[in-house]
Amino acid sequence: MTALAVLIVAGPLAGPAAAALRARARAAGIASAAGGLVSLAAAITLLAMLAHHTRLSGWAGFLYVDTLSGFFLITVTGVTVLAAFGSVAYLSAEQDAGTLSAFQVRLYFIFFGLFASLMLASLETGNLGLLFVLVEASTLASAALVGLEGKARSLEAAWKYVIISSLGVTIALAGTLFLFYAGSALHLTSNERLTWPYLLAHAAALAPQPLRLAFLLAVVGYGTKVGLAPMHTWLPDAHAEAPSPASAMLSAALLNTGMYAIIRFLAITQARLGAAFPRAVLLTFGFASIVIGVLFMIRRGNFKRLFAYSSVEHMGIIAVALGFGGVLGLYGALLHTLNHAIAKAVLFLGSGDVALRYRTREAAEVRGLLTAIPVTGGALLLGSLAVLGSPPFGLFLSELTIVRAGFARSSPVLPLLLLVLLAVAFIAFARTTAGMVTGQAPKPPDPYPGRGTRWAGAAPLVAGLVMLLVLGLWIPAGLNTAILHSMAVI
Amino acid sequence: MEKLAATSAAGVLLDLSGVVILLLAFACLGSKLFNRYVAYYGAQSVVLSFAAGVAAWTFHSVELWILAGLTLAIKGIGIPVATRRLLLRRLALARDSAISTGLSTSLIIGGALTAFAYLVTRPQLLPHGLVAAAVVPLSTAVILLGALAMVVRRHTVAQLIGWLIVENGVFLGAITLVATFPFIVEAGIFLDIAAGVLIMLVFVSGLTRQLAEASAAELRGLRG
Repeated sequence: MTALAVLIVAGPLAGPAAAALRARARAAGIASAAGGLVSLAAAITLLAMLAHHTRLSGWAGFLYVDTLSGFFLITVTGVTVLAAFGSVAYLSAEQDAGTLSAFQVRLYFIFFGLFASLMLASLETGNLGLLFVLVEASTLASAALVGLEGKARSLEAAWKYVIISSLGVTIALAGTLFLFYAGSALHLTSNERLTWPYLLAHAAALAPQPLRLAFLLAVVGYGTKVGLAPMHTWLPDAHAEAPSPASAMLSAALLNTGMYAIIRFLAITQARLGAAFPRAVLLTFGFASIVIGVLFMIRRGNFKRLFAYSSVEHMGIIAVALGFGGVLGLYGALLHTLNHAIAKAVLFLGSGDVALRYRTREAAEVRGLLTAIPVTGGALLLGSLAVLGSPPFGLFLSELTIVRAGFARSSPVLPLLLLVLLAVAFIAFARTTAGMVTGQAPKPPDPYPGRGTRWAGAAPLVAGLVMLLVLGLWIPAGLNTAILHSMAVI
Repeated sequence: MEKLAATSAAGVLLDLSGVVILLLAFACLGSKLFNRYVAYYGAQSVVLSFAAGVAAWTFHSVELWILAGLTLAIKGIGIPVATRRLLLRRLALARDSAISTGLSTSLIIGGALTAFAYLVTRPQLLPHGLVAAAVVPLSTAVILLGALAMVVRRHTVAQLIGWLIVENGVFLGAITLVATFPFIVEAGIFLDIAAGVLIMLVFVSGLTRQLAEASAAELRGLRG
């Protein structure tokens, strides 16, 4: 099992290895995708094995995988596979067009693989200090992706991202410090006092005041990475300026990794201080994020920015779901994490295709995608409907679960507010995307060198939509067990 | 971990280092020249490594000795030298004119933040068993001052140094709150900081070439 865990982290490094051997965009991309598939297969096997063993731990707690981490591992590896296929198409086209040099393409695949690998590693560690180290390292790797194009705008976005996120994660480190300190009365070694399962097992003996502070600092700190308002300001810039497959990774994998860190802190805090305090914190940040996300979605403009604000909104929804709590809330939060990750990967990869063909990121300059490029246009239309929570896609089911979780609590005010905000989001978002896909437009030039790369670009769109549809109609028994087991961990 | 009495030699030295670190954070906040920021940051890191050395000596901890050495090598020498070589000399940056408040205003706000840090982390409010209780408000104040420097200073280099000051504040707190994290974690944090500074320096020099002056005040292409 340890070997599987190592394999999951090592898989995405196939891309950097290929890039280091001076492979071109297509070969390096295929290596990344193959590595991602190996990781995904290993993650599914590991999760299936965890159903019997309940947890894998070793190396003095530095390696710790339970079903919760297994669930997130599958989400992140799945997104990595989709984004790697998207990278084959996007980077080949960019290299062919001369927008990116061969060196930049190699850098892209090196940092893409490192980024994926570091995120997966951060999901596999039980040591909260190491979690900080890996999350910060993944920030740096992804910042390199954001600034890859080297233009003033992308460097500006990369700077904003790296400085805000680094400060945020440093705040999370201060939170980790207070958690460590809260356990100073325990008879544990300094290593065990940072290790999650020990902390959870001894939660009752933790000092309450430092723990309260630790949770707050962790939510603010890791919340910066999640994109919770008001710490979200880096997010739209970074998502808009990064190459599209990298945006997909940021939105669908990185944000979830931050949320995973918050869930780990939440579990310990709930065990010691009760549910009221952490729930209030998460509801506050969650609703703030939904409101901010929805308000900025109303403005029509850059479509990648629109998708980015939708990510802020959805991370808010997940935080609200955790804040509602209970069986329904947790179930909804985890299911929504998976659904949102797939939907956002589809949208960002689709936006990459549009950006390549039209050489613009402005929604107003794009028309008639359904007739001009039916696959991408259809994916954007269906993906938008999915991300807005329309049936029969998975997000409808998870949002319904979350709203039900809200009504299961005493007051109906908050779930009603959530419903209103979701409705506004629907109008704001669909207004822009509907304008992009409808109408008549001439067929734009094809940017891809060869059929293989074009298929590599279309495959993740179709695969993602099929998964969303399946998740909307039927939750596989294995996934259901995985989510239920993950909830038992918390 | 036994408590370190404020009257013991080690306690006095730790308190004194904390005060000097705070003063250097103020010095950084109040200066206008890039080479001074870097020099003050370097000096602050040297004092920090001295504080780590004092803790190491008191608790006979090999790990803390190594950390003190790493702090001196990476933060005290490595980062200041790299920043000087890569930025100040090659890009000929000299004076930071972009500051969103007056210099004296930012110092006054800094003073208020320090008072606030003392207010929220009064020794009576702190739990017992701290290694050196008096240093906690100092490290909180250093964190706040670093964040203030990031807010009022518009230049990217100044923001970078501000982040490093925040990091120093957290490290000072770490020494006094918990004596030490597991070594692998501490080493990882150092690695992160070094890699972070490198990648930020790359961005800063890229921005400088593109914008003539890499002041965050000019970074206004991305809005809304």
